[in-house]
Amino acid sequence: MADGIQLARAASVAALATEGVHSMGRGRFVEAATYEGSEKVSGVVVGPEDLEIHIVAGYPLPRPIPEIAENIRERVAPQAGGRRTRVVVEDLEVAEDESL
Amino acid sequence: MRVFNRIVMTLLFAGLFVLGVYMVVYSFDLFGRSLTSLPISDFSGGLQDFLTRVENGGLSAVSIIILVLLAILGLIWFIAELRPSAPRRVRMGNGTYVTRGVVEEEVSTVAEQVPDVLGSSVGVRARRSPGARVDLEARVRRGEDLGTIRSGLRTRVQEHLSERGLPVSKLNVKLVEADPRQTKTRVQ
Repeated sequence: MADGIQLARAASVAALATEGVHSMGRGRFVEAATYEGSEKVSGVVVGPEDLEIHIVAGYPLPRPIPEIAENIRERVAPQAGGRRTRVVVEDLEVAEDESL
Repeated sequence: MRVFNRIVMTLLFAGLFVLGVYMVVYSFDLFGRSLTSLPISDFSGGLQDFLTRVENGGLSAVSIIILVLLAILGLIWFIAELRPSAPRRVRMGNGTYVTRGVVEEEVSTVAEQVPDVLGSSVGVRARRSPGARVDLEARVRRGEDLGTIRSGLRTRVQEHLSERGLPVSKLNVKLVEADPRQTKTRVQ
Protein backbone atom coordinates (compact mmCIF):
# COMPACT_ATOMS: atom_id res chain seq x y z
CA MET A 1 0.00 0.00 0.00
CA ALA A 2 1.44 3.35 -1.05
CA ASP A 3 1.96 6.11 1.52
CA GLY A 4 0.13 9.43 1.35
CA ILE A 5 2.18 11.44 -1.09
CA GLN A 6 2.98 8.47 -3.33
CA LEU A 7 -0.67 7.59 -3.52
CA ALA A 8 -1.56 11.22 -4.25
CA ARG A 9 0.98 11.32 -7.05
CA ALA A 10 -0.26 8.04 -8.52
CA ALA A 11 -3.88 9.16 -8.27
CA SER A 12 -3.08 12.46 -9.95
CA VAL A 13 -1.27 10.73 -12.83
CA ALA A 14 -4.07 8.19 -13.21
CA ALA A 15 -6.74 10.88 -13.21
CA LEU A 16 -4.93 13.05 -15.75
CA ALA A 17 -4.49 10.03 -18.02
CA THR A 18 -8.24 9.45 -18.08
CA GLU A 19 -10.13 10.60 -21.14
CA GLY A 20 -12.32 13.58 -20.34
CA VAL A 21 -10.12 14.97 -17.56
CA HIS A 22 -8.72 18.38 -18.41
CA SER A 23 -6.74 19.07 -15.24
CA MET A 24 -6.75 18.53 -11.51
CA GLY A 25 -9.03 20.70 -9.41
CA ARG A 26 -7.79 22.80 -6.52
CA GLY A 27 -10.80 22.65 -4.24
CA ARG A 28 -13.61 25.14 -4.16
CA PHE A 29 -14.15 25.91 -0.50
CA VAL A 30 -10.99 24.45 0.99
CA GLU A 31 -7.82 23.58 -0.78
CA ALA A 32 -7.76 20.02 -2.08
CA ALA A 33 -4.15 18.88 -1.89
CA THR A 34 -1.79 16.47 -0.19
CA TYR A 35 1.40 17.75 1.37
CA GLU A 36 4.51 15.98 2.51
CA GLY A 37 7.81 17.69 3.17
CA SER A 38 8.25 20.30 0.50
CA GLU A 39 6.05 18.48 -1.97
CA LYS A 40 2.43 19.24 -2.74
CA VAL A 41 0.06 17.31 -4.99
CA SER A 42 -2.96 19.40 -5.95
CA GLY A 43 -6.36 17.84 -6.51
CA VAL A 44 -5.91 14.75 -4.36
CA VAL A 45 -6.74 14.44 -0.67
CA VAL A 46 -5.53 11.23 0.95
CA GLY A 47 -7.24 10.20 4.17
CA PRO A 48 -6.79 7.11 6.29
CA GLU A 49 -9.90 5.49 4.89
CA ASP A 50 -10.79 7.54 1.86
CA LEU A 51 -9.33 9.22 -1.14
CA GLU A 52 -10.76 12.33 -2.77
CA ILE A 53 -9.86 13.21 -6.33
CA HIS A 54 -10.81 16.65 -7.63
CA ILE A 55 -10.86 17.11 -11.38
CA VAL A 56 -11.75 19.68 -14.00
CA ALA A 57 -13.49 17.94 -16.88
CA GLY A 58 -12.86 18.89 -20.49
CA TYR A 59 -15.83 20.22 -22.42
CA PRO A 60 -17.52 18.88 -24.47
CA LEU A 61 -17.54 15.76 -22.37
CA PRO A 62 -16.48 12.66 -24.30
CA ARG A 63 -18.55 10.44 -21.98
CA PRO A 64 -21.05 10.93 -19.19
CA ILE A 65 -19.52 12.14 -15.93
CA PRO A 66 -20.29 8.91 -13.97
CA GLU A 67 -18.34 6.92 -16.56
CA ILE A 68 -15.36 9.27 -16.32
CA ALA A 69 -15.48 8.98 -12.53
CA GLU A 70 -15.71 5.19 -12.69
CA ASN A 71 -12.74 5.07 -15.05
CA ILE A 72 -10.67 7.18 -12.64
CA ARG A 73 -11.66 4.91 -9.77
CA GLU A 74 -10.63 1.80 -11.73
CA ARG A 75 -7.26 3.31 -12.55
CA VAL A 76 -6.60 4.38 -8.97
CA ALA A 77 -7.94 1.24 -7.26
CA PRO A 78 -4.67 -0.78 -7.37
CA GLN A 79 -2.84 1.92 -5.36
CA ALA A 80 -5.72 3.01 -3.16
CA GLY A 81 -5.29 0.19 -0.66
CA GLY A 82 -9.01 -0.32 -0.14
CA ARG A 83 -9.74 3.35 0.49
CA ARG A 84 -13.15 4.60 -0.57
CA THR A 85 -12.56 6.82 -3.59
CA ARG A 86 -14.63 9.93 -4.19
CA VAL A 87 -14.40 11.87 -7.42
CA VAL A 88 -15.38 15.53 -7.40
CA VAL A 89 -15.92 17.34 -10.69
CA GLU A 90 -15.15 20.95 -9.86
CA ASP A 91 -15.45 22.66 -13.18
CA LEU A 92 -15.68 22.29 -16.93
CA GLU A 93 -12.98 23.63 -19.18
CA VAL A 94 -14.02 24.37 -22.73
CA ALA A 95 -11.49 22.94 -25.19
CA GLU A 96 -9.93 25.48 -27.53
CA ASP A 97 -11.21 25.27 -31.06
CA GLU A 98 -8.13 24.60 -33.15
CA SER A 99 -9.85 25.66 -36.34
CA LEU A 100 -10.11 29.25 -35.14
CA MET B 1 -27.64 30.31 10.11
CA ARG B 2 -23.92 30.20 10.73
CA VAL B 3 -23.35 33.88 9.92
CA PHE B 4 -26.31 34.84 12.11
CA ASN B 5 -24.96 32.66 14.94
CA ARG B 6 -21.55 34.22 14.60
CA ILE B 7 -23.01 37.72 14.88
CA VAL B 8 -25.09 36.75 17.92
CA MET B 9 -22.15 35.06 19.63
CA THR B 10 -19.85 38.01 18.87
CA LEU B 11 -22.33 40.44 20.43
CA LEU B 12 -22.86 38.12 23.39
CA PHE B 13 -19.15 37.76 24.09
CA ALA B 14 -18.58 41.49 23.60
CA GLY B 15 -21.32 42.14 26.19
CA LEU B 16 -19.82 39.62 28.59
CA PHE B 17 -16.40 41.22 28.16
CA VAL B 18 -17.76 44.67 29.01
CA LEU B 19 -19.62 43.28 32.03
CA GLY B 20 -16.44 41.50 33.11
CA VAL B 21 -14.47 44.75 32.98
CA TYR B 22 -17.16 46.51 35.04
CA MET B 23 -17.16 43.66 37.55
CA VAL B 24 -13.40 43.88 38.07
CA VAL B 25 -13.50 47.68 38.36
CA TYR B 26 -16.38 47.70 40.86
CA SER B 27 -15.22 44.65 42.86
CA PHE B 28 -11.75 46.05 43.52
CA ASP B 29 -12.93 49.64 44.07
CA LEU B 30 -10.84 50.91 41.17
CA PHE B 31 -11.10 54.49 39.83
CA GLY B 32 -13.24 55.47 42.80
CA ARG B 33 -16.00 53.00 41.90
CA SER B 34 -17.47 50.57 44.39
CA LEU B 35 -20.26 48.00 44.33
CA THR B 36 -22.37 50.05 46.74
CA SER B 37 -22.47 52.94 44.26
CA LEU B 38 -23.97 50.78 41.47
CA PRO B 39 -27.38 52.15 40.41
CA ILE B 40 -29.05 48.74 40.31
CA SER B 41 -31.52 49.08 43.16
CA ASP B 42 -34.27 50.23 40.74
CA PHE B 43 -33.47 47.42 38.33
CA SER B 44 -33.43 44.70 41.02
CA GLY B 45 -36.65 46.13 42.49
CA GLY B 46 -38.32 46.01 39.05
CA LEU B 47 -37.11 42.47 38.47
CA GLN B 48 -38.44 41.31 41.83
CA ASP B 49 -41.75 42.95 41.07
CA PHE B 50 -41.94 41.26 37.67
CA LEU B 51 -41.13 37.82 39.14
CA THR B 52 -43.75 38.29 41.84
CA ARG B 53 -46.34 39.07 39.17
CA VAL B 54 -45.27 35.95 37.18
CA GLU B 55 -45.69 33.79 40.30
CA ASN B 56 -49.09 35.29 41.04
CA GLY B 57 -50.23 35.00 37.43
CA GLY B 58 -50.80 38.72 37.26
CA LEU B 59 -48.90 39.55 34.05
CA SER B 60 -50.34 42.02 31.59
CA ALA B 61 -51.47 40.81 28.13
CA VAL B 62 -48.56 42.64 26.45
CA SER B 63 -46.02 40.90 28.72
CA ILE B 64 -47.57 37.50 28.01
CA ILE B 65 -47.51 38.15 24.25
CA ILE B 66 -43.85 39.22 24.42
CA LEU B 67 -42.90 36.12 26.41
CA VAL B 68 -44.78 33.82 24.01
CA LEU B 69 -43.09 35.48 21.02
CA LEU B 70 -39.70 35.03 22.67
CA ALA B 71 -40.48 31.34 23.28
CA ILE B 72 -41.57 30.86 19.63
CA LEU B 73 -38.45 32.66 18.42
CA GLY B 74 -36.29 30.39 20.57
CA LEU B 75 -38.08 27.31 19.25
CA ILE B 76 -37.62 28.40 15.61
CA TRP B 77 -33.96 29.11 16.24
CA PHE B 78 -33.54 25.73 17.95
CA ILE B 79 -35.17 23.85 15.04
CA ALA B 80 -33.09 25.82 12.51
CA GLU B 81 -29.96 24.81 14.40
CA LEU B 82 -30.94 21.14 14.40
CA ARG B 83 -31.44 21.08 10.63
CA PRO B 84 -28.25 19.97 8.92
CA SER B 85 -26.90 22.48 6.41
CA ALA B 86 -27.40 21.83 2.71
CA PRO B 87 -24.45 20.13 1.00
CA ARG B 88 -22.31 22.32 -1.22
CA ARG B 89 -21.73 19.75 -3.92
CA VAL B 90 -24.25 17.80 -5.97
CA ARG B 91 -24.12 14.10 -5.22
CA MET B 92 -24.35 11.88 -8.27
CA GLY B 93 -24.31 8.59 -6.38
CA ASN B 94 -21.53 6.04 -6.07
CA GLY B 95 -18.98 8.47 -4.66
CA THR B 96 -19.08 11.01 -7.48
CA TYR B 97 -19.80 14.69 -6.91
CA VAL B 98 -20.02 17.75 -9.10
CA THR B 99 -19.95 21.35 -8.03
CA ARG B 100 -23.10 23.40 -8.51
CA GLY B 101 -21.24 25.54 -11.03
CA VAL B 102 -20.81 22.58 -13.37
CA VAL B 103 -24.55 21.84 -13.34
CA GLU B 104 -25.33 25.55 -13.82
CA GLU B 105 -23.01 25.72 -16.80
CA GLU B 106 -24.51 22.63 -18.42
CA VAL B 107 -28.10 23.79 -17.92
CA SER B 108 -27.36 27.30 -19.10
CA THR B 109 -25.57 26.05 -22.22
CA VAL B 110 -28.36 23.72 -23.28
CA ALA B 111 -31.12 26.21 -22.45
CA GLU B 112 -29.57 28.89 -24.63
CA GLN B 113 -29.34 26.45 -27.53
CA VAL B 114 -33.13 26.28 -27.65
CA PRO B 115 -34.20 28.64 -30.47
CA ASP B 116 -36.85 30.53 -28.53
CA VAL B 117 -34.66 31.27 -25.52
CA LEU B 118 -32.90 34.63 -25.59
CA GLY B 119 -31.12 34.32 -22.26
CA SER B 120 -31.22 32.35 -19.06
CA SER B 121 -30.23 32.32 -15.43
CA VAL B 122 -29.82 29.14 -13.47
CA GLY B 123 -29.86 28.36 -9.77
CA VAL B 124 -28.74 24.98 -8.51
CA ARG B 125 -29.23 23.62 -5.01
CA ALA B 126 -27.54 20.45 -3.84
CA ARG B 127 -29.51 17.96 -1.79
CA ARG B 128 -28.47 15.26 0.62
CA SER B 129 -29.95 12.64 -1.70
CA PRO B 130 -28.45 12.20 -5.19
CA GLY B 131 -29.49 14.83 -7.70
CA ALA B 132 -29.79 18.58 -7.74
CA ARG B 133 -32.69 20.95 -7.61
CA VAL B 134 -32.46 23.20 -10.64
CA ASP B 135 -34.31 26.50 -11.02
CA LEU B 136 -34.09 27.68 -14.60
CA GLU B 137 -35.35 31.10 -15.64
CA ALA B 138 -35.44 31.55 -19.40
CA ARG B 139 -36.16 34.80 -21.17
CA VAL B 140 -38.32 34.66 -24.30
CA ARG B 141 -39.95 37.17 -26.65
CA ARG B 142 -43.38 38.55 -25.81
CA GLY B 143 -46.32 36.79 -27.43
CA GLU B 144 -44.69 33.37 -27.78
CA ASP B 145 -46.50 30.15 -26.88
CA LEU B 146 -45.10 29.74 -23.37
CA GLY B 147 -46.55 26.27 -22.76
CA THR B 148 -44.88 24.74 -25.80
CA ILE B 149 -41.57 26.47 -25.10
CA ARG B 150 -41.63 25.37 -21.46
CA SER B 151 -42.26 21.70 -22.22
CA GLY B 152 -39.69 21.70 -25.05
CA LEU B 153 -37.10 23.37 -22.87
CA ARG B 154 -37.74 21.01 -19.99
CA THR B 155 -37.39 17.95 -22.22
CA ARG B 156 -34.22 19.31 -23.83
CA VAL B 157 -32.57 20.09 -20.47
CA GLN B 158 -33.55 16.74 -18.98
CA GLU B 159 -32.26 14.83 -22.01
CA HIS B 160 -28.99 16.75 -22.01
CA LEU B 161 -28.34 16.27 -18.30
CA SER B 162 -29.23 12.62 -18.59
CA GLU B 163 -26.70 12.23 -21.44
CA ARG B 164 -24.06 13.85 -19.23
CA GLY B 165 -25.01 11.64 -16.29
CA LEU B 166 -26.04 14.57 -14.12
CA PRO B 167 -29.01 13.57 -11.98
CA VAL B 168 -31.73 16.17 -11.40
CA SER B 169 -34.26 15.55 -8.68
CA LYS B 170 -36.37 18.60 -9.48
CA LEU B 171 -36.36 20.94 -12.45
CA ASN B 172 -38.32 24.18 -12.24
CA VAL B 173 -38.64 26.07 -15.50
CA LYS B 174 -39.83 29.65 -15.38
CA LEU B 175 -40.33 31.66 -18.54
CA VAL B 176 -40.06 35.42 -18.46
CA GLU B 177 -41.20 37.56 -21.35
CA ALA B 178 -38.49 40.07 -22.11
CA ASP B 179 -37.54 42.74 -24.57
CA PRO B 180 -34.99 41.24 -26.99
CA ARG B 181 -32.99 44.48 -26.79
CA GLN B 182 -32.30 43.76 -23.14
CA THR B 183 -31.45 40.06 -23.38
CA LYS B 184 -28.17 38.28 -23.96
CA THR B 185 -29.09 37.46 -27.56
CA ARG B 186 -31.69 39.11 -29.77
CA VAL B 187 -32.20 36.23 -32.20
CA GLN B 188 -31.26 32.56 -32.17
